[in-house]
Amino acid sequence: MSTIVIGLSMGLLLFLLAAGLTLIFGMLRVINFAHGSLYMLGAYISYQVVQLTGSFWIGLAIAPVVAAAIGALMERLALRPVYDRDHVYQLLLTFGFILVIEEGVRIFWGLDYKQVSPPALLSQPVELFGSSVPSYRLFIIGFGALVSASLFVMLDRTRYGMVIRAASGDPDMVRTLGISVSRIRTAVFAIGAGLAALGGVVAAPLLPIELGMGFSVIIDCFIVVIVGGLGNIRGAVLAALLIGMTRAIGYTYAPSWVDFLTFLLLIATLILRPEGLFSRKGRTA
Amino acid sequence: MTARRSIQAVLAMVVAAIALAPLVLPGDSGLHLVNLILIWSIFAVGFDLVFGIAGMLSFGHAAMFGTGAYALTLLTTRMGWDFLPALGAAGILGGLLALVFSFFAMRAAGLFFALLTLALAQLIYILAGSKLRDLTGGVDGLGGVPRPDLFGVDFYDDGNFYFFLLGMFVLALAVAGVLRLSPFGQALRAVKANDVRAEQIGFNVQRLRQAVFAVSGIYAGISGALLASLIFYVSPQMLHWTTSGDVVIMVLLGGMGTLFGPILGVALFEVLREGLSTVTPYWYGILGLVFILCTIFMPHGLAGLAQQLRQRFGAGGRR
Amino acid sequence: MNRLRAIIFGITLVAGLGAPTLQPAVAAEPDAFKIGAVLSFSGPYGIIGESMRRGAELAIEQRGGTVLGKPIEVTWEDSETKPQPAVQKASRMLAGGAHMIFGAVSSASTVALQSLVDQRKVPMLVTISADDKITRPGGSRYTFRTSNTLGMEMRMALEFTKARGLKKIYGVGADYSVTREGWDFYRAEAEKLGVEIVGEDYPALGNRDYSVIIDKIAKTDADGVILIVTGSDGVTFLKQAGQAGLGKDKLLFGPVLQDELLAAAVGPDSIGANSGVRYHFSYDTPANKAFVEAYRAKYDDWPNSFAGEAYDGMSWFLDVVDGTKSWDKEAWVDAFAGSTRANSIEGTKVMRACDHQALQIGLWGEVVEGEAPLPPLTMKITEVFQPEALFPPC
Repeated sequence: MSTIVIGLSMGLLLFLLAAGLTLIFGMLRVINFAHGSLYMLGAYISYQVVQLTGSFWIGLAIAPVVAAAIGALMERLALRPVYDRDHVYQLLLTFGFILVIEEGVRIFWGLDYKQVSPPALLSQPVELFGSSVPSYRLFIIGFGALVSASLFVMLDRTRYGMVIRAASGDPDMVRTLGISVSRIRTAVFAIGAGLAALGGVVAAPLLPIELGMGFSVIIDCFIVVIVGGLGNIRGAVLAALLIGMTRAIGYTYAPSWVDFLTFLLLIATLILRPEGLFSRKGRTA
Repeated sequence: MTARRSIQAVLAMVVAAIALAPLVLPGDSGLHLVNLILIWSIFAVGFDLVFGIAGMLSFGHAAMFGTGAYALTLLTTRMGWDFLPALGAAGILGGLLALVFSFFAMRAAGLFFALLTLALAQLIYILAGSKLRDLTGGVDGLGGVPRPDLFGVDFYDDGNFYFFLLGMFVLALAVAGVLRLSPFGQALRAVKANDVRAEQIGFNVQRLRQAVFAVSGIYAGISGALLASLIFYVSPQMLHWTTSGDVVIMVLLGGMGTLFGPILGVALFEVLREGLSTVTPYWYGILGLVFILCTIFMPHGLAGLAQQLRQRFGAGGRR
Repeated sequence: MNRLRAIIFGITLVAGLGAPTLQPAVAAEPDAFKIGAVLSFSGPYGIIGESMRRGAELAIEQRGGTVLGKPIEVTWEDSETKPQPAVQKASRMLAGGAHMIFGAVSSASTVALQSLVDQRKVPMLVTISADDKITRPGGSRYTFRTSNTLGMEMRMALEFTKARGLKKIYGVGADYSVTREGWDFYRAEAEKLGVEIVGEDYPALGNRDYSVIIDKIAKTDADGVILIVTGSDGVTFLKQAGQAGLGKDKLLFGPVLQDELLAAAVGPDSIGANSGVRYHFSYDTPANKAFVEAYRAKYDDWPNSFAGEAYDGMSWFLDVVDGTKSWDKEAWVDAFAGSTRANSIEGTKVMRACDHQALQIGLWGEVVEGEAPLPPLTMKITEVFQPEALFPPC
């Protein structure tokens, strides 16, 4: 039973990490390699806010806003000129951003490890199905569910979401309707960047905060995005849960095979159902 | 056409200047860097056959690169093979692995192709670092990779090894140059331009793509083996996805789809890395800025820059 | 056609000029003692390179910046913690006449540099990389390690198991060669002592979620958990274990689990964790006291294990070089192999001639709360193991 709880928390954490990537990919067709760096930035900002205010929650609110602002800048200054070009140029561009953000973090925060503890409210384990489960894990489950639900509602049920989807499907048509597509693109990129930082804040109490932490997370995010179907939020939630469960079970029985199994799942998906395991109808967008 | 030819000539001269720099530079200090550039150039030139000519973005070439390195290392140090046959085997294994990759990856196109190659290569990386550790030395890798033993020359001297690498480089460049102009190269361009039409006029598109993928696998295998030999060392790091990323970046910086562009990209990448890191501790961020600015302002890489400059300043009057 | 002609032109240019020209070797009398330092200065391991630089610079400064009557020149290069740049930069410095190589940080880079220094016949001083295969009998003639090996640290963990009378052990090791070998050794020896191994797991190196494994461990009746993981992996484990309350009834320890830097990364959950310590500023010898004082005066900080080991190794090596009164590198190598350092900051160290590994004491400590001016989380040295228990005969 406790494996299920842990698997759920691993899955929803994965979703929080990957949500921004899948949003940006789905709506802009941009592969944002700098996603991991924005995630790292979120963790560092969280550390800074906790140092200044002592509150984890303020960090959770501020970090995404800061990252969204940076994301908006990235989009306007660098991405906008290359939308019309081959996808690979976005790769080079966002790779450049990885290095720049990494350097900025080093200059600002230095080389040593930083540390954030879970908020006091969530620092004690709770007894659940005969295991003591850290209460912070339960928070991740709840928060992950909340974020995925709100994203889903925003994209699928609000007028704003409709416009975003329309702009990604047929930008010319949206333009004709008098809506600024480039402003929508900036907004989407900013939201994606904010989500990346949100993931960083949530992950911060679980991990050492260090340079390079974004590099190790990016491949995980890609796996979620691909298995879920590129740019498909609902698919990403299900994929993250599937991978979280697979890993939880894998760690229970054969920890040294977990990475291998995850990649096998990924390759099987790409070969058998490249549109993603959880796509309703063909390839999205 | 004159303009185009003279640009090619200029690029060729720049490449020649880089490759031949050790002959005129005093001392040995730049030697290792040029050796490194020659090796990565072989990798990049081969990669561009797939990427620039056939239009397939592979993100898994690290697998062929690292496999070549391991093949050379294991065949020479554990099986007692001579260097040259082992180098040949490294190329062949690289080509074979590329064929296997293409068998799986060709089921998808475009972005999915890139992601599949990435995933396959990463799978090999994970296996090499953990399950195959007895063969690969695990994360800490294997030292003592040999250099050639030919004509009584001491190739362990970087100055002598340079001539060996220069020979390999010229050979690789010549083969790539011929391939690009051959009917095979023309067919690939046709496939890149419009694969449906290419199919309709009778090309076997799938076969063509597989063939060029295998050829570039041979290039990757050989260059990986040479890198291991240059630094006397091999580790799973060579199989990591960032190695695939490096070669993509080099080709983009230099200019995809051109013969000399990838070499210029390699040179820019390695020289920047080497030069900046000696000058400033902030070289990491500056390198990132260079990437960003290059992408925005040099859409066709260094090779395209020559064209851009020419259009702006040189050819205007004569046209 | 034009393109073809251009290509042929380029190729003939490259090939035609490619006739071998020989460069005369530079054989001038050295005007300085050149040290080529290849350390990590960027990325996550940058802090290690910076600390080592501080330690080594203090060692050089304390001898007036000279050796053999000539000034010491150090070139600091960033290895990026990767073998290719490490070898590239070391090659360049060797071409520029470096008399010794200092580094590298990661064992992978060090293994790569070993073949290079053997080829170029230049000594290399290692003061951090811990992979056992770096110093082995019949290995590299030019490599010397003055710091710990992982094998030695595994023996310390074993001695600690004995000293604490632990009876049931759960083992967690990062899935790679060195840790696997370390665990196999520990397991065999512990079972000989009558210790029961109640479980073992090998998560991947760089794993970010240990919660399932922690849950598994919590459900056993193990009284001790040995963690054969280093750096960030150890931090991640201790943070997550703390949140699950694992340390309440189980002793968490490991060969290189914690130091002040890593404890700061874990936070309060690190308290009570036990670990081998490569070097510690509190170790009570006159030489160490003098070093710590000088270090604090210069940098206003406590020397960490990277700085301490670098200082110790560098001052030892330079003293040996000075003692030979010769510029012959072979003489330095012969003198260093078998030399004894009586006044090392970690007591007496002996450089074994058979494998170029320095025999030394092993420190063991526990993370406790520190009072100013100590770091808020500090290692308290609880055990000092003698070299006889830590190094098998060659």
